[in-house]
Amino acid sequence: MAKVRFKVNGKPQVVDADGDTPLLWVLRDHLGLTGTKYGCGIAQCGACTVHMNGSAVRSCQVPLEGLGGADVTTIEGLAGKGGAGLQALWFDMNVPQCGYCQAGMLMAASDLLKQHPKPDDDQIDAFMSNICRCGTYPRIKAAIKRAAGIAV
Amino acid sequence: MNAASIDRRGFLITTAVVGGGMALGLSAQAAVQGGQTVPWGADAASGAEFSPWIEIAPDDTVTVRVPTPECGNGAMSQAAMNVAEELHCDWSKVRVVFASYARDFAEKGAYNTGFLSFFSGHSTGKLRLQKTLQLGASARERLKMAAAARWGVPASEITTKDSLLFHKPTGRELRYGEVAAAAAKVGLLAEPELKPQSQWTLLGKKSPPKLNIPDITHGNAVYGIDVKLSGMVYAALMQCPVHGGKLNSHDPAKVLKMPGVRAVVVIDPARTVGWKGKTGSTFGFADSLCQSGVAVIADHYWQAQKALAALPVEWDMGAGVQWKDAEAIYTAAQAKRDLGKGSVIRKLGDVSLASGKRVVEGEYSTPYGENAALEPLNATALVTAESAEVWCPTQDMSQAFWVVVDETGLPPDKVKLHQTFIGGAFGRRGQGDDVRMAVAVARQFPGKPVKVIWSREETFRQGRFRTPVVTKMRGVLDDATGLPQAVTGDVGYAGSRAIFQMPLGFSDMPWFNNGVIPNVRLTSSAVPVNVLNGAFRGPCYNSHAFVVETFIDECAEAAGIDRLEYRLKLLAGWDKSWSDCLRSAAKGIGWGKVLPKGEGMGIAISCWPVANAHNSGTVVACAARVSVLKAGEIRILQLDTAFDCGRIANADAVRAQIEGGTLFGMSVCLGEELTIKDGMIVEGNFDQYQIAKMADCPQVNVHFDALSGHERLEIIGEAAVGPVQAAIGNAIKIATGKRLRQTPFRKAELSWI
Repeated sequence: MAKVRFKVNGKPQVVDADGDTPLLWVLRDHLGLTGTKYGCGIAQCGACTVHMNGSAVRSCQVPLEGLGGADVTTIEGLAGKGGAGLQALWFDMNVPQCGYCQAGMLMAASDLLKQHPKPDDDQIDAFMSNICRCGTYPRIKAAIKRAAGIAV
Repeated sequence: MNAASIDRRGFLITTAVVGGGMALGLSAQAAVQGGQTVPWGADAASGAEFSPWIEIAPDDTVTVRVPTPECGNGAMSQAAMNVAEELHCDWSKVRVVFASYARDFAEKGAYNTGFLSFFSGHSTGKLRLQKTLQLGASARERLKMAAAARWGVPASEITTKDSLLFHKPTGRELRYGEVAAAAAKVGLLAEPELKPQSQWTLLGKKSPPKLNIPDITHGNAVYGIDVKLSGMVYAALMQCPVHGGKLNSHDPAKVLKMPGVRAVVVIDPARTVGWKGKTGSTFGFADSLCQSGVAVIADHYWQAQKALAALPVEWDMGAGVQWKDAEAIYTAAQAKRDLGKGSVIRKLGDVSLASGKRVVEGEYSTPYGENAALEPLNATALVTAESAEVWCPTQDMSQAFWVVVDETGLPPDKVKLHQTFIGGAFGRRGQGDDVRMAVAVARQFPGKPVKVIWSREETFRQGRFRTPVVTKMRGVLDDATGLPQAVTGDVGYAGSRAIFQMPLGFSDMPWFNNGVIPNVRLTSSAVPVNVLNGAFRGPCYNSHAFVVETFIDECAEAAGIDRLEYRLKLLAGWDKSWSDCLRSAAKGIGWGKVLPKGEGMGIAISCWPVANAHNSGTVVACAARVSVLKAGEIRILQLDTAFDCGRIANADAVRAQIEGGTLFGMSVCLGEELTIKDGMIVEGNFDQYQIAKMADCPQVNVHFDALSGHERLEIIGEAAVGPVQAAIGNAIKIATGKRLRQTPFRKAELSWI
């Protein structure tokens, strides 16, 4: 067992659990933040993407014991970290279908735009490696471009 | 009835309880549980109800309770939009929740209207549309009656708009919420007439985004996997890796002391209690049965997963181990098919009489595939000796509900079922086997809610997979016209589950029915296999459309006729919308344009769910432009899709489904395949099973100009999945000279110099 202190969406948290518990399950089962989704458990699908110390990570790959002092932002806190504009575009452009992947997509997209404020197609394709089974990719790409002020 | 006044349209005010009764003070807002605002409605009547479907709160909020699940197609919001069209309410004040199946049962079908009431989409099906429009109209007229009583004026002088009631002669106005409680007690002598479609102001005119998107984008939408209940524990599940096998032995002592572990339970199909009474299940129980397995229950899911991985388990794999690989299954399906004893599913003329110099023959096939919805299978169940309550992302509440009754043997009035949002389904969550397994686990841990989550690997390997088909086609072309004079087609299915041998997109194609091809003989056979197949977005159609439209392309090629022209000839005399779809998709892609070496265009057309009746189904034509790099890598450069579903209720929702269906089909034909070793599914996760990602996706253009305007508003989720596969294969033929008769295409060697 490990007792680890870190921050989630600006709020200090202490979690006492098995040290190898992935951040994904710490968020979902221990902190009740179910917006971060389990999709594959092996860093393939990106549904569990959160920001750790400002960068997008796959939370299924980050064990609790490696979290000490970390600053984590989840989809529930994205609006407070400059994500509200993206979230509004996701609505206006009717991006989600089932919606299950979209928390991860939004977390990835917001980090992409921080790293590349005017991303080209190749940068978007390379960065947005998350899986959407419904096929919302074209809308996600269009929403990212609109957020970046790129004419589509 | 206690009549108070009658106006000239014959309405009647009454104090009688209407449509399921007035409230007992419960909130009709979906409950807040564990800090979550949940999407399912209450199990009993509540608030100012106009019917079990509609409640209007004092603040004007209109709550619409719908039987339709929401798996991404917008069917939930659509049902509410239908109501709003006639209710004349402010769309921004509409919220939508899932109806309670327990209430449907208690009130004898309060939500049960039309074809497949509780299944997936169908919000714009004829009867359902009619019903939801009528509910809205009825509520609107009752609001008018209540306002008329308040103002002492005839209801006929009252008009409505955006949740407001107006009496123009006296300049008065009321909000819906101000008279909702009184209006809910009003009964009508006769139902109001509906507006003609031409006067719709919302349906077909506006495209509001889905109502649940803000919840999705803020992480608040409650999917099955997100349900939070007091005292809830978690279970990780392992079923026999060979479908149909049995648990031989396991050693719980090895894991019971691991952190958080509460119990190890065995799931034994023989323990299903069964329900002998009448049921309202949509599909029956044959495809929902328990599989032999074992589950670990723990305080947290991670603990349950770890303990399950450490649990020593021995299986009796059963007869399924005979299948050394998937090829062995496909070979068996071919052998069965080639016995020539398949059922004849279409016969026209006499194929043996046809003669012609050009004969087109081919063996086509599609493999096992996994639905791979992004939300792994799961359900949460609380079972006691007297009752059961289940929360699940089901595609069909009535199916799931009756599966719970059947598994527990509890009478239906002791069962509750709550519909959550669904993280994708594509047919996988329709039969209720996932719900049954969760209940089978929770029954053994009574009194505690148990959330049972299939790992991704378990979800993959315990699927109800895309039905593989092996199809032999043969066409004899007319020497003069080049069109087929005779076609024989023999399909063999792997898997003998009768409901997944659907001939759609095969024997119902117009040219096999309307005499354009004078001699046709199509047969169907199936080989029993232990591997469980099931529904996969546009079941079987998703294979047949590829087969038929690849074969037709080969006929065109052999005839030396442009492949677009050839299809137009085959469709001569058939519904114009089919040809319009082809022309529109072709125009969009720039058909006939000279392309660089290594590039090609292809086109294909099909229709779901009924192709051989006029003005029926959703017709989709897809045109593809692809590039094949010298090393053989396939790039999809552009996809243009044109469709006809009659009319549309929400253009952007339709566009989204056509885009998504097209990309789903693209993903299926490029990379998707499950393989088998000794009866077991090999692929267990997304590193082994290739689903299209952003980088694989081209521009997808959806064209609306082939819409016929016929009065139907047909379902649009499935149709696009078929033609795109053939369109891409046909484009690859042009790009490389290689004809691909099997998917996935990325397995084919396509390099060129």
